[in-house]
Amino acid sequence: MKAMNRRKLITVSAVLAAVSLAVTAVPAQAAEVGVTSSEIKLGMTLPMTGTASLGYNKIPGAAKAYFDYLNANGGINGRKVTLVVKDDRYVPTEAVAKTNELILKDKVMALLAPLGTANNKAVAASVNPARRGVPVLFVNTGFSGFADTKKYPTTYTVLPSYIMEAKIMGQYIKDNFAGKKIGLLYQDDDFGTDALAGFKTAGVNFAVKVPYASGSQGAAAAAGWITKFKAAEADVVILFGVSSATSAMLGVAAQLKYAPQWMLGSVGGDATTIKLTGVPAGVLYNAIGFSPVPATTDMKDEYVKFFSDIYAKAVPGSAFDLNVLLGMNTAFMTAQALKAAGQNPTRKSLMAAIDSKGSTFANSALVPAAYSKTSHVGLTGYWVGKYSPTGDLAPVGGTYVTYTTDSGAGAVVKSTYVRPAMPAKGLPN
Amino acid sequence: MKKVRILSLLSVTALVTTVLVAVPVAANAAPACDGKSPIQSCVGATSDGAPYAMQVPANFNGTVALYSHGYRYNVDIPSAIPLIGGYKVTNTPEPVPGGNADVAKYLFSQGVAIVGSGFARQGWNPDSAIKTNVELIDTFKKQFPKTTKVIAWGSSLGGVITQGLAEKYPNLVSAVAPMCMADNVEPELTMAGDFLWGIKVLFDPTIKAGNYSAGAAGVAESYADLGKVFTVMGKLQAGISTGAWPDTSSATGKSLEAAGVPVRSALLLLGLMAGLPTQSAHFDSISGPDGALKLTFPLAVSPALAVLENGTNAAALAILATQDVENQTGGAIFDNTKTNYAARVDSERVIFNAALSGNTVIDAMLGALSTANPGAPRAVANPAAVAKMRALHMNTGKINVPTVLMVGMADPITPAGASQRLVDLYAAQYAAEKAAAVKAYQTTRDYKNPTNKLLMLWNTTPSSYTKFSAAGAPITSTPAAQGTNHCNFTSAQLVLVAKSLVQASSTGKLPSGGALNTAVRKAGDLSTNKGISVPLLKYYGDN
Repeated sequence: MKAMNRRKLITVSAVLAAVSLAVTAVPAQAAEVGVTSSEIKLGMTLPMTGTASLGYNKIPGAAKAYFDYLNANGGINGRKVTLVVKDDRYVPTEAVAKTNELILKDKVMALLAPLGTANNKAVAASVNPARRGVPVLFVNTGFSGFADTKKYPTTYTVLPSYIMEAKIMGQYIKDNFAGKKIGLLYQDDDFGTDALAGFKTAGVNFAVKVPYASGSQGAAAAAGWITKFKAAEADVVILFGVSSATSAMLGVAAQLKYAPQWMLGSVGGDATTIKLTGVPAGVLYNAIGFSPVPATTDMKDEYVKFFSDIYAKAVPGSAFDLNVLLGMNTAFMTAQALKAAGQNPTRKSLMAAIDSKGSTFANSALVPAAYSKTSHVGLTGYWVGKYSPTGDLAPVGGTYVTYTTDSGAGAVVKSTYVRPAMPAKGLPN
Repeated sequence: MKKVRILSLLSVTALVTTVLVAVPVAANAAPACDGKSPIQSCVGATSDGAPYAMQVPANFNGTVALYSHGYRYNVDIPSAIPLIGGYKVTNTPEPVPGGNADVAKYLFSQGVAIVGSGFARQGWNPDSAIKTNVELIDTFKKQFPKTTKVIAWGSSLGGVITQGLAEKYPNLVSAVAPMCMADNVEPELTMAGDFLWGIKVLFDPTIKAGNYSAGAAGVAESYADLGKVFTVMGKLQAGISTGAWPDTSSATGKSLEAAGVPVRSALLLLGLMAGLPTQSAHFDSISGPDGALKLTFPLAVSPALAVLENGTNAAALAILATQDVENQTGGAIFDNTKTNYAARVDSERVIFNAALSGNTVIDAMLGALSTANPGAPRAVANPAAVAKMRALHMNTGKINVPTVLMVGMADPITPAGASQRLVDLYAAQYAAEKAAAVKAYQTTRDYKNPTNKLLMLWNTTPSSYTKFSAAGAPITSTPAAQGTNHCNFTSAQLVLVAKSLVQASSTGKLPSGGALNTAVRKAGDLSTNKGISVPLLKYYGDN
């Protein structure tokens, strides 16, 4: 009897040891960082103050407006989505510090729409969200490099790349300005490098190219740029820079009565932001612009109407512009990704959801997204418009004609994409 | 009661001060002890002539803390040389970091004795210093047979010595703390060589920047370099404001100046190429003065000023350590004939694009510094000297005993990457130990999770710290920010390390959990977050 008991005891001990090992070797499923039973926490860095913040500082308010609407309607499986916003003033080193805070102190589940090519590169190099498994959703930059899934495995782009934009601009130039002298103002960093690559692929020959170092743009610099464009007798001048560069250029051009055919890149082409710097709306008249989402004044568009209504209630008195529309659109896509990530979303399931379903997410863009298990590329094209006398961008000819392409050697083609209808109540299914 | 405690503190302070005064003692003789209480002091010299000092409290519990001091120049510095002139070679023993009274008081309160050597030679000395420490441990044990445990710690090069001691003689020590630890000699002097080479080829081609002559002539050449480098740094400081390049600039430098390359951008590029931190004692690369420069200053100027401040701090050691190691190995040890500086700065060129003045300027500078430009001749090492350098003591990074690392995130002399290397290596070591434990379980059915043997304390920089005068000028007269400068630790931080070592030597386990978190918070400006990861020294990206 005693012997039996000892054997039993040994057996039980062995089982317990095995169980103990199993427990040690395979930790119990821990709740995901940034996810509780009642909340999903996301974090965003972007310039909220300082000269670079103009226009961009409306993005968090726009995203929060949608998340508040979502939360008021049940959130994501009962969890409310909260957004922690940190001001990086558009300084890369500050973006690094603030992103570290978001990950280490605020313990967010994912980074959402961090803004700026240099800032995102700085964060990737110094904070390394990929090494930590932190998703970086829908970065607010069109730098094509962020779609490199080997280098940035947890990063997802959303805006069409600058290469795509330059290729589509190039196609438009071929179709409409053949034989004209073309000038280009571009930012002398990866933003501009992408643009140059796109124009090269499109076969655009420039009469003059004027680079500017980030941070150097201003009225004095703009006067110098104009001298160069005038000297080259440029008929068409492309402004492929940030809003402050566009504003400086247009403001000084108005003073000097320099009026070539302007073509504005999407980054610096938001009319509301330009007008806030004191540039008269009339200067924009007849300038050519590009956008992946509908005109912000197009209240016949169900998405624009829906987002505009929510925003007007959430932030009364604030103009509904391109930054707002893009901010709300990003939040809307994020909600769908979180919903698709399962009852108890994790960082991995969130990224898997975008990989498998991202290309079908409803959103306001008039061009397709290219998410898949092998691609983190977001939207892939633009429609071409002209600015009205009041500075509003509207499609050339009155109807949206969209073009799509890739960041490689692929052709620019007219898109046949049919946008998904808005889900019921604008909530993720 | 209060009076007694004050007297006790004063007494400890006095004792530590006393220990820092060299006392000549015959080599290899038994320690000369004063027999005093509550603290008994002993002095002596090991067989290699290294003076040492011991202090043993009356309540000695058998544990002794062996401290290894950092790099000391091994030549006197003429007083005419700025910043470091007037230095005299010293081998004064240092039994606690910088003679810190708070640290000594804490250790004595725990019944822990302290001991430290001044080492037989200064300069780059881990080989001899490790031997000295082994002998010193034996001497201490013989003098105080009650000794049961030795904890070892050290700063800077003393961190290398401490880690080396634990790697080679794990049975001699029960816990160690390499603080603001230097990397091995080749990575460290590659960083030094890269920066000095850049200063030479752009700003003053008469700087030798290595390949010094043997003996006294080489020492004289290093003195000349010190003077020239500090002079260039002064001109660069002025040039950052005015845009002017130093009048001593090379033809390559002058051609860049003529092309409109701002000198601040050139200086920053050199710092990035070498791996110098872009935050320094007074420049956070984040803050700007109120007004028009609020954004421009951190974007375009502050990183260059940080490199200037860090480079000035590191230059003397870079020159003198290079001269010393060349003297030990018999020839030039720095070789950048194959270094791809463009690859070195591939990620940083975007981060600091504004401060580097854009891609066109960056490409122009990298072109000027490339092997294709005969106006920027690369440094060629002596292969035999390099072989000898590689035969000097090198730490493998193996963690044998409970180990505490502490380093400033923006230390310009011993970059945090040197500690990161050990963190990375230990992560692999621990994973292997865990795999072995699982494998052992399959036969023994007795699973033992390996004990964690590494505690990493990151001395973090404040979120922002550059201060400006009412006129908008940066203020550099304030104390260096936490996490910057070399081994810039507070007493509270050092005491935390000491406490951790005492606990680990007693229990075999490093502090962890809530108790550690509380202690770290109280010490201030420290983080144990495992998510922190800093770049390794640039050398590791080349090799």
